[in-house]
Amino acid sequence: MTLQLRHVTKSFGEQTALRDVDLSVEYGEVHALVGQNGSGKSTLIKLLSGYHQPDPGAEAELDGRPFQLGSSHAARAAGLRFVHQDLALVLSLSILDNMMLGRPYPVGLGGRIRWRVAADRARGYLGQVGMEADVRSPVGTLSMSERTAVAIARALSDTGSGQLLVVLDEPTAALPAGDVDRLLEAIGRLRAEGHGVLLVSHHLGEVLGIADRITVLRDGRVAASVPGAGVDQRRLTELIVGHSVVVPDVGPRRPKAGGGFPRQPAGPGRPDQAMALRVRGLAGGRIGGLDFGVRAGEIVGVAGITGSGRESLAPLLTGGLPHQGEIEVAGSRLAPGRPRDVVAAGVAAVPGERARLGVFPNLGVRANMTISQLERHRRWGRIVRRLERREVGEWIDRLGIVARGPDAPMPTLSGGNQQKVLVARALRTRPGVLVLDDPTQGIDIGARAQIHEVIEQCAADGIAILLVSTDSDELARLSDRVLILAGGRLAQILERGPALTAKSIDASQLDAKPGPALAAAAVGSEGGDA
Amino acid sequence: MNTMTAPPVRPARAGRRPGRVRLPSVSRFSAVYLWAAFIVLFGVLQFHLFLTVSTVQVVFSQGAVTAVLALAFLVPLTTDTYDLSIGEMMSLTIVLINWLTLHTSLPLGVIAVMVIAGCALIGAVSGFVVVKLRVNSLIATLGMSEVLSAFQLYISQNHQVAGRFTSLFVAIGNGTVLGIPYLDLYMIVIAVVLWFVLEQTPLGRRMFAVGGNREAARLAGIPADRIVWGSLIASAVVASVAGVLYTAQVGAYTADIGQGYLFPALAAVFFGASQLSQRPNVWGTLIAFFALAFGVQGLTLQFGAGTFWASPLFQGVALIGAVGIASSRGAIGAGGDGRAIRRLLRSRAPAATDPGASSQDEADHAHG
Repeated sequence: MTLQLRHVTKSFGEQTALRDVDLSVEYGEVHALVGQNGSGKSTLIKLLSGYHQPDPGAEAELDGRPFQLGSSHAARAAGLRFVHQDLALVLSLSILDNMMLGRPYPVGLGGRIRWRVAADRARGYLGQVGMEADVRSPVGTLSMSERTAVAIARALSDTGSGQLLVVLDEPTAALPAGDVDRLLEAIGRLRAEGHGVLLVSHHLGEVLGIADRITVLRDGRVAASVPGAGVDQRRLTELIVGHSVVVPDVGPRRPKAGGGFPRQPAGPGRPDQAMALRVRGLAGGRIGGLDFGVRAGEIVGVAGITGSGRESLAPLLTGGLPHQGEIEVAGSRLAPGRPRDVVAAGVAAVPGERARLGVFPNLGVRANMTISQLERHRRWGRIVRRLERREVGEWIDRLGIVARGPDAPMPTLSGGNQQKVLVARALRTRPGVLVLDDPTQGIDIGARAQIHEVIEQCAADGIAILLVSTDSDELARLSDRVLILAGGRLAQILERGPALTAKSIDASQLDAKPGPALAAAAVGSEGGDA
Repeated sequence: MNTMTAPPVRPARAGRRPGRVRLPSVSRFSAVYLWAAFIVLFGVLQFHLFLTVSTVQVVFSQGAVTAVLALAFLVPLTTDTYDLSIGEMMSLTIVLINWLTLHTSLPLGVIAVMVIAGCALIGAVSGFVVVKLRVNSLIATLGMSEVLSAFQLYISQNHQVAGRFTSLFVAIGNGTVLGIPYLDLYMIVIAVVLWFVLEQTPLGRRMFAVGGNREAARLAGIPADRIVWGSLIASAVVASVAGVLYTAQVGAYTADIGQGYLFPALAAVFFGASQLSQRPNVWGTLIAFFALAFGVQGLTLQFGAGTFWASPLFQGVALIGAVGIASSRGAIGAGGDGRAIRRLLRSRAPAATDPGASSQDEADHAHG
């Protein structure tokens, strides 16, 4: 059996997410779909699942029979099954209940659930992905790979018979390294059963290990569709990034105003300057041993694919997650998991998940901005609103925040403007160290440029900045150095220079393998200070 | 617009036409309108009874204790923490004071201070359970409420406890100045102190921040655990003060005090949270409380002394109505649990922030 897509185009207003994409997935094969963020992978998946409708002209065939793209009903009927990254499992329910979620239980007399029949069926599907477990145990007690297996088994159980096409969206992103192999085994089993697998992944090593065919999307087009055996990781990285990794572009894509690199003195060429932030043997979350330092006035970028430990770094540094190892700010060590101490030590942060970790929805812009340092406008115990308003007004002007005045309720602001309020909250404490976790995610170009300007200004003012970002362009534009993380460790350091471009950062992330040796070298090169 | 507690002089907003008198918005001042409606309604129905100085005095002097209890509930609610033990905390205070005046010869002032300090300690225990043992505050304080009820039964042996009080103490609870009951003055003092702390100081700002997003507050360097803990101690102290005031006003302990006072207090806070700044706030609570109290008084006068059922019916309907209006305007992602309800209470309706749209909505609500 074959799923055949032809001439699939999808545009959102002015933006075209997919251009004339052809895709052919054989059943009994693992077909990998790779590409950078924004290359169109998720749009394609969402078209298949019926979440988006394609532009006119698209054709889809299953074994020669046409089926309608953009209809979730048709997708289901055609045997397409989706396992999304978050798995959509209820952790407190048992494996069995999770597999039966939203499906009819087999019932006997008087509507009694025939548990034994249900359990036998569930075991059958779990067996298809090579999992043996007590179906009564809660999903919350399972490891991440087992949970993924349950989610896949659940997808298989949806019709019960016939060949299916299982679409796995980044199934290994949340898995610890040891679990990945077991999941790949389960995927292999699906293939052996004759099911088709469409695997979306950033992890090229895994993709190369299991895929029979690899389709590379780049800028909404199919850049290549090659047999898995025919490429190696280097070649695949080149296909994804769209140029040769060995010979990088000449110069940064966007040279800074005034030319050259204005913060040159802060670079690693001046080891005599004290480290404002210094990290030794940092572990916790998905990070397992990290050493680096940031000097005053320096912007150090951090990149890494999902699951590399990048997403854990800022929470570890700001006390959101308890850490092991040493974090030193201006010479004094921070205790683990104590954000108060972190703030008191002069570290300000713009958290990654704005709504969950940053915004107070019940307060206005003014209160949101000043919350981490209220004493500045205190007279006789009370906050003098006149002074507070004046300061907040200045920040609103400086960052170009669009709000109906300093007292507008926070939820009335757009995402980008909320983000600017958080940036202002961090900056107004005049921190020694600034930790930014994806500071421009999901915000428009204008706001992004303004935030970039402010970041550069801060570095010029002598603030040590750690910029964790998924936006390689941003990293290339701002960073003095970019640390590439992989597998919870430092894999590579890219120094500022003509070779530091968005593309080289992308390529390094995809190509990176965790190397303890490199981590040790990084410590050595930064050991000469203090 | 959202900081009604201290309106500064501000230039006229765009969209506000000069020369046109705008009535305060219906939803944010619904308690005031309700209050006015009751006065008009029962004033017409019960012309000779309702619109008298004594009605006003009765409502304000009988309501003061419950209003203080409502303020006790308000304090931890700003940090998104429920304290359901305030009713029993108040009645424990009452039984203890009565009992101590009978069985010791300590001066009343010492007894009152001791009992309040004891209640603060109990609040600290609740705080420990909520903060350190990570028990949901609803459950923790509900459990604590039963424990306190057991204390009372043990001390009172399920009988009335009537202590011996000095005439000074009785005067403190029942005197008036210029026709205003002393109790209301105490209430106003407590309200002003709480308003100052909650709305004017960094501590209050942090309490609301903890209530709005605890993890974000923690990351911003706010000692969220300590603030929640402290707010439970504060609510215990204020509830205990309400108990002292009750003792001064009424005197003897009877077994059914605690729970009877809890609901009107809660209703006032929740109703009040839909008023003014549209989050739990001191003046909204008091306005809502007395609006409801006037309604109850009017019903009692209308239907005679046998209308013991009027008060709970009325409180219940008013609470649902008030929160209903607040949620239907601010509803986002309503779920099935208490958190969603609280979010509705806290969230400000986007419509209410837009002058044009909000007046339209208000008109709808006014007709509805």
